[in-house]
Amino acid sequence: MTNKSALWSEGNTPFSFKFHLPMKVIVPVLATVVALLLGVALIACTDSSVSEAIEAFWDGMVGSEYNIGASINRSISLGLVGLGFIFANRANLTNVGGEGQIAIGGMLATAMALHGAGNLPFGLAFILPMLAGTLGGALWGGLAGALKSWRGINEVISTLLLTFIALPLVYWSVESVHLLRKPMTQVSALPESMIIPDATKLPMLFPSNPMSPLHIGLILAVIAVIAVGIVLSRTPFGLKLRAVGLNQMASRRAGMRSGFLVVLAMAIAGGFGGLAGAIMIQGQQYYLTSDFSSGYGFDGLVVGLLSRGSAWGVVVGALLFGFLRSGSIAMEIMAHVPAAVVLISQGLIVIAIAGSAIFMDRKAS
Amino acid sequence: MSEDQLAVFLGSGLRLAMPIILAGMGELVSQRAGVLNLSLDGMMLTAAFAAAWASWVTGSPVIGVLVGVMACLIVAFFQAILSVTLRANQLVVGIGFNILALGATTFLYREIFGPLSRDTIPGFAKLHIPGLSEIPVIGPALFQQTGLAYIGLIMVVVTWAMLKYTSFGLAVRAVGEDPRAADKAGINVKLIRYLGVLYAGTLAGLGGAFMSIADSNTFTEGMTRGAGYLAITAVIFGGWAPWKTLGACLLFGFATALQFLAPAMNLNIPVASLLMLPYVLALFAIAGFVGKGRQPSGLTLAFERGR
Repeated sequence: MTNKSALWSEGNTPFSFKFHLPMKVIVPVLATVVALLLGVALIACTDSSVSEAIEAFWDGMVGSEYNIGASINRSISLGLVGLGFIFANRANLTNVGGEGQIAIGGMLATAMALHGAGNLPFGLAFILPMLAGTLGGALWGGLAGALKSWRGINEVISTLLLTFIALPLVYWSVESVHLLRKPMTQVSALPESMIIPDATKLPMLFPSNPMSPLHIGLILAVIAVIAVGIVLSRTPFGLKLRAVGLNQMASRRAGMRSGFLVVLAMAIAGGFGGLAGAIMIQGQQYYLTSDFSSGYGFDGLVVGLLSRGSAWGVVVGALLFGFLRSGSIAMEIMAHVPAAVVLISQGLIVIAIAGSAIFMDRKAS
Repeated sequence: MSEDQLAVFLGSGLRLAMPIILAGMGELVSQRAGVLNLSLDGMMLTAAFAAAWASWVTGSPVIGVLVGVMACLIVAFFQAILSVTLRANQLVVGIGFNILALGATTFLYREIFGPLSRDTIPGFAKLHIPGLSEIPVIGPALFQQTGLAYIGLIMVVVTWAMLKYTSFGLAVRAVGEDPRAADKAGINVKLIRYLGVLYAGTLAGLGGAFMSIADSNTFTEGMTRGAGYLAITAVIFGGWAPWKTLGACLLFGFATALQFLAPAMNLNIPVASLLMLPYVLALFAIAGFVGKGRQPSGLTLAFERGR
């Protein structure tokens, strides 16, 4: 992982190409292109017409100003989870619990928005629920970090288990009238919360344009990308995380509180997930349902993996997957092609990148 | 609780535990050899679908099971190539396979059966073991299961005996503990790891097939609902020992069966709390509050000669 650029920037190869692309860029791009082509091939095997499917796909991604905005909104949540992933990954921790962290974040943001935050002045009405969501996610991630540093539990297992605990918790909260369920008018109504007060919804980015669904989460996400990029690559904290990730024993001898750093890294990762959940509720959905997180956590994990630890990589991956998801939803509705095609492509991308890590690292060292 | 309710509870607990027991025993061997198959859930889902499809097409649940196991072995083989030969991160590969299996089975199910198929799939009838099934409570609970359930219980004994008494079992344990020393002792580390993963694939295949054609006689999208993750947790919960792992699997099965018992007994427990109960138990278990085994020290570590 160290100093990948050295090999090809010093010109010590016998051939001189005009454009040198590092393997860590080539492999993910290649994997993505091949996986998407396979997806198209799969569509061709179905009864639906490929051109119709691709048309619906394209339309869902960028067909209208609204669709573009909705795709970017999706990318924001995915990008935040992805940023959390690379943050923890810098300390050699694999946070696969994004789904549960989103769920807890969304649930607490909804609770805060419905019970207390609605009438607060100065924008606190929408800021407090976001903070509640972030803290909830941080708690959920930090718990896995604590189990890791104090009991030696692999964080992959604990974050997965915590996800399987978080999802029923959200279901519980919208199913019980004592918690967040909206008062029932008819028995058959699906369990969901009331719509959050207007003041707690995220302000729109372009209030004058009613067609644009973009909200200020975009600004937050941009700030988060820059902050994470700087913290990880240019601060002592980022260096400490890397040291702990490389060798916990050695970093402890060097005077770092490695156990605490592990908890902190996981809490920050979880906090990003929780913020993503809060933004999903406050920015677009406006009420809580039991399955509102539907796979965003796992998509965000894929985004984090694709980026190979770079904040800019997260931006590219998040945009790609946000638009893909919009497209796949439109494709299922309009062209009746199962959105599972995109799931297949995503799985292939993850496997291809994990499988080629050996080649990427060999080129690097 | 009446006698009938108790019998139903015990019977359904064992039935719900069975896929976890099968997959868990396979995963136990794989982990003892040093490979953590996080793809277990995807393997089971693949097998559940392949078994349902083959049984539906041929009308024979036995062929269904065989096809399910074959499909699962293909996934296991790729998992082995990636995590043993290519030394990829075992956990990341596992997650990739789980996403792929969910996508592929959902896609194929909709293409082959249609989105809302209600077709029943030929499955196994329950075997009533003569004599034993007449015993009150225990008879209907334990001795009126499908044949596959008895195979599952036999596999527990087979796995235990294999790990403990055979030279293959010894090699598995050596490879999982210290691959370098095992290599020096002349054991083919990569081969043993391949075999461990394929063993896990075979049993996960039986477990997945059990879900679709021995238990529910149907396939639904994402029907494993995390059973593979539970099996992995059961191995950890059980301290990498066969009988304790069996105990953990049974605990998870009965915790799930509570969902059906509670309403029948008019207990007012939220469904959600029962849904998360196995995972909460597992979390407490791995956190070491109920005793803790030592994991094979070579677990998840890739092995390469001379590195």
